[in-house]
Amino acid sequence: MASATTTEEQLIAEGTLLDPVVHKHPRQFYAAMRKLDPVHYDKSIDMWLVSRWEDIQEIQRDPITYSVNKGYHEQQAKGFAAEFQQILREKGGGYFPDAIMSDPPYHTRVRKLMENAFTAHRVKELEPRIEAEVNGLIDEIEDRGEMDAVKDFAQPLTIRIICEQLGLDWDIKEKIARWSIAVTAQIGRMQDRAEMLEHAEQICDLQHYIIGKMRERQADPREDMISDLVHAKEGDGEGSVLTFEEAVSLVRALLIAGNETTATALSNLVYILATQPDVLKKLQDSVDDDKLMNRFVEELLRIEPPVRALSRMTTKEVELGGTVLPEGAHLLLMYASANDEPEVFPEPREFDMERKNIIKHVSFGGGVHKCVGLALARMEIKVAARQLVRRLKNFRLAIAEDDIAFLPTVATRTMESLPVTFEKVA
Amino acid sequence: MSGIAVTLTQQDGTVVGIDDAQQSESLMEAARRAGVAGIVAECGGVCSCATCHVYVAEDWIGKVGEPDEVEDEMLDMVDHIRRPTSRLSCQIRLSDELDGLEAEVAPDL
Repeated sequence: MASATTTEEQLIAEGTLLDPVVHKHPRQFYAAMRKLDPVHYDKSIDMWLVSRWEDIQEIQRDPITYSVNKGYHEQQAKGFAAEFQQILREKGGGYFPDAIMSDPPYHTRVRKLMENAFTAHRVKELEPRIEAEVNGLIDEIEDRGEMDAVKDFAQPLTIRIICEQLGLDWDIKEKIARWSIAVTAQIGRMQDRAEMLEHAEQICDLQHYIIGKMRERQADPREDMISDLVHAKEGDGEGSVLTFEEAVSLVRALLIAGNETTATALSNLVYILATQPDVLKKLQDSVDDDKLMNRFVEELLRIEPPVRALSRMTTKEVELGGTVLPEGAHLLLMYASANDEPEVFPEPREFDMERKNIIKHVSFGGGVHKCVGLALARMEIKVAARQLVRRLKNFRLAIAEDDIAFLPTVATRTMESLPVTFEKVA
Repeated sequence: MSGIAVTLTQQDGTVVGIDDAQQSESLMEAARRAGVAGIVAECGGVCSCATCHVYVAEDWIGKVGEPDEVEDEMLDMVDHIRRPTSRLSCQIRLSDELDGLEAEVAPDL
């Protein structure tokens, strides 16, 4: 097991993402990889960890050699794929393969049809509604003086905003967490048959719910993203609209993808407010300065990326960063490592809102698969930061920093809970 | 065929002339079709990434116009290379009025 005195050579020889110490303090491991073995084979998870910023760029520039589709579909419901698909066909309204987890040229069409729901201009129009949701939640907590920033703030806020944006009913809030677990369990995690059956049942429930909503919006469009997707159109003729199967898969993906990632970003926001008093002071002094707030959000995403890694699979033998990868190599793009690379971001652990290359972080991925919801995510974080800073002050961690626990997942770096204290601004 | 003519100067000094740009497209889309180096357009053209940044020629900025608030906020992220003539090319909708437009591709960060 790694310890504080472990040398970089030992970390490379013995370290793995699954090591609990590496999991809790991964940056030393990232630094050792970047220096000694930038494309590092982690045998405990049978994946290649890509640690350098430039190598990640190379992958993102070539979505054919480095496929999303191949890795995703090989992983899905591993071991039980046929049974899983049959259950969804029989009891879940259909089996809807994830249209966005695909490669060009198919991906290009689907992505284009999704984009109109997410333009920066569209998101700007949503700002007042997002602010109302943030304020409603702060109303509930401001007199308490303490909260768990994860369970009392980040998670409920994210779910409120998702329901609001997609046009879903607030009463599904209890179900979203179960649905998220069921959907994400189909990729990159081991589940036994009993778990697969339980998850399939949840996904059936989820699909019936969203299919019902989509039928309503087909007949009666409203100002929400489900309406945008079921009525999306680019050009004319075949392929100019989404098929119903594609649209179901996209609504499902938005409901799940926008949930945990954004909640993690909002938890990280409170963590920074509670641990970086100089940053908090700057925000308090300039809370009405939209440009400063935008830079704050970007630097927050760089320094604490919610998604620390995502995967690709090679479709042919290829050399990357001096390492020859075989066809079918499963890669993890270590965004958290790339964002921490001192050659790209000098003094990477300094929270510096004046960085010239502040938007070069890879927290939203890059290339054709760059996060489609990035403008919405930025807006949610900015509005949450602004209202927290306006209405509350003196944020402090209520536990020792070293006692913060993280969920046991490879893809995200998510705090389990974050108890903090604060005061109301008079 | 008749089209809108635009000229883009890459960072390496190469001048790329495009003569078949269409009314329906943005300057970014025309530049991507012509393979202009430095126009990455990573976000796909939704004003969210600043990788299609150009400096519009002085003579043309009046016709092209100023960035709106959303674009202005995005351009602020690249403040140190921003000029008064900076625009995100995905937000420049081509038209007959812009026939002959000239612009320079902004440097990488």
